Amino acid sequence: MTIKSSVTSTAFSRRGFLGFAAAAASAPLLAACGGGSASQSGGSGVIKFWDMPWATPAYNDAAKKIAEGYAPASGNLKASYQTIQWNNFYQTFSSAIASKTGPAVSTGGGFQAFQFEQQGQIAYADKVVEELKKNGQFDDFLPGVLEPFKSDKGYVAVPWQLDMRVFWYRKSLFEKAGVDVPTDWASLLEAGKKLKTIGAFGFATGSGAGNNIGNHSMIMMMVNNGGGVFTPSGELDVMNDRNVEAIEFLLEMVSNGIIDPAAVSYTTDNLNAQWKDSKAAFGPYVLGVPARVGDTSGDIVVASPIAGPHGDKAGLVFPNNIMMYTNTPSQASSEAFLVAYMGQLKQLWQQKLMNALPVFKSITELPEFSSDPNNVKIVKEWQPIAKTFAAQGNSLNANLAVLDGGQALNQFTQTVLTGKTDAKSALQAFQSGLQSVLKK
Amino acid sequence: MALTTAQTGLSRARRGVAPGGSGKPAKPANRKSKLSSQTRKTFFWLLLPSVVLLVLIHGYPLAYAGVQATHNGSLIDTGEFVGLENFANVLASDAFWKAARFTLLFTIVGVFGSWLMGLGLALLLRTKIPAGGVFKVLLLLPWVVPIVVSSTAWNWLLGTPDSLIPSMFRNLGLGTPLFLADPTLAAITVMVFKVWISFPFMMMMTSAALASVDTTVYEAASMDGASRWQQFSQITLPLIARSTYISWILMTIFCVNDFPTIYLLTGGGPVDATTSLVVLAYRTVFQDFQTGPGVAIAFLMTITLVVVSVILYRQIRKSSVE
Repeated sequence: MTIKSSVTSTAFSRRGFLGFAAAAASAPLLAACGGGSASQSGGSGVIKFWDMPWATPAYNDAAKKIAEGYAPASGNLKASYQTIQWNNFYQTFSSAIASKTGPAVSTGGGFQAFQFEQQGQIAYADKVVEELKKNGQFDDFLPGVLEPFKSDKGYVAVPWQLDMRVFWYRKSLFEKAGVDVPTDWASLLEAGKKLKTIGAFGFATGSGAGNNIGNHSMIMMMVNNGGGVFTPSGELDVMNDRNVEAIEFLLEMVSNGIIDPAAVSYTTDNLNAQWKDSKAAFGPYVLGVPARVGDTSGDIVVASPIAGPHGDKAGLVFPNNIMMYTNTPSQASSEAFLVAYMGQLKQLWQQKLMNALPVFKSITELPEFSSDPNNVKIVKEWQPIAKTFAAQGNSLNANLAVLDGGQALNQFTQTVLTGKTDAKSALQAFQSGLQSVLKK
Repeated sequence: MALTTAQTGLSRARRGVAPGGSGKPAKPANRKSKLSSQTRKTFFWLLLPSVVLLVLIHGYPLAYAGVQATHNGSLIDTGEFVGLENFANVLASDAFWKAARFTLLFTIVGVFGSWLMGLGLALLLRTKIPAGGVFKVLLLLPWVVPIVVSSTAWNWLLGTPDSLIPSMFRNLGLGTPLFLADPTLAAITVMVFKVWISFPFMMMMTSAALASVDTTVYEAASMDGASRWQQFSQITLPLIARSTYISWILMTIFCVNDFPTIYLLTGGGPVDATTSLVVLAYRTVFQDFQTGPGVAIAFLMTITLVVVSVILYRQIRKSSVE
């Protein structure tokens, strides 16, 4: 496949032993501070594109084919492709960038571009956006997906897929419990109580090792109630009334057994098993739950957004993006490659390799995507009302990386899920934790 | 009188003194050899590349860690010099002391739990039991199997109320313990998991030490009227003391530095109940992006480990002299 660019001694000695002990004891130090194993790909004459394992290995094979099949216009450089594992990815990127062996273009963590922008490592994508305007792709973006990436200095990155959190439910459990699918918080509470009588949980989540669905559940319920962690201008605003109300509601579900008391320790495998074993009746999760949990019978489907007590409706979205770096052999070549790559994204959905929403309307209309009614429902009902972690604000920033993966949110989530707190105390501790780590 | 005879015999046996022997150690041979100047120079040049390599591998990251711990920057940019502020902040934080307490408990249980279990099994395997070789191999499995596999298996056994072990408790009328969701139970579970994956190492160390004990020592003690307990406590334990102290030092280092056992099973939760210092350091650097404080935690751990290692090393020397 070819892509055409659209732009240009055996004795036990004291010294020996202490040396060994000191070396072994320094392991945590080395682990904590040592540079990552940034591997180099390609030489200086190519645009290095680093990509993450966004789906099965078949995804990376397809993405590699697109990147390495890119045929640049005269004067521009070709591209090389490398997969970077999620494990310690930030360390990998950081050490590579620090040693000037990093990529010219990459995907990565949802807020990674803003973190590296703070450190002067990001090349703004304004020229790429201009090219997307010229080739018609700009107008093809779903509403509201590009704006969060615009900073005072320019576009920090370009979105390429949307990682959504939406409510899913298992139809048969609602039928068995004789209760309707919730449309608002009040009906969610009532449904949860009835589902409990048949041994099912009305709000399935998890916050165990490596599982961030619990964290996302907390923020999702806040934004569903018109709240959020930040003000529209980006100031920390944890203690607002809407957040307090949302956490009180979650604690009520915990105390009523609507949330599994073991959820605090559930890994994603545990949570998948809860869905598969018909223990989970309703709850927030990612796209493609039926395939993920191994039940494609049609019993697990996407619910419509539910209304908070004040009538607010919202979901959560993580706009994953592609960023460019200042350390590139040719900025023009980076831009040309990125524009060309964006033009080929549809192949990934055509091959049904993605577990995320596309950012382009045209891809949502592909039969390979729209043949799944859950996808259609998410595009029609959830995407237009989806908010980012920046809620109540809109613009993304580096602080969101600390919020997303940081200890403060995780501890807050686990405190709420254990139920041994009240909303204001939990939120207060959450706010203090965030204040201590957020950049002013 | 009989007791005195037995104790004297045990004392002689422990020192490896045969009946009729003087008990005075033979003079060690002078091991120093006179090397010519040329040979020394050759040795120096042969050793130099390795020394340089070791300094680069260990010295550079250590020095760079020192820089990071005294600055307020990130992994890319070291930022401004802040002196010992990161250390002061870390030492003033509740999270650090909570993690330090858990690390201490985790280490004590990990070291002595695995040692007791390893010692017991090593003694058992020394006796002639049917299929002893097979048992030895099977008992090594927890140590050999990758932790990512073990932790997945333990999660499968314990993770949800419907997992195998909680179900067994429920069927026995003992309720449904949430082994990983209850903070206290999660801490206990992580420690038991650590003992389980570590006892084979202790068993091997102890087995090797026991193999070096001359069985005639026991015969001599037995002839002098020593009981089984006296033989164990006054011959076996003292004669394997050096190996025991070494295994304690190594296991202490393994426990304090143990990241995967905790991180894969509980992630440090629930509500930080199983957050050790190394997990805290990792989370501080890579989740909160606070490089200076995170490296400061790692530095404090390293200093503590070196101090503990020196204290235990002195015990080894003491036991060697005795």
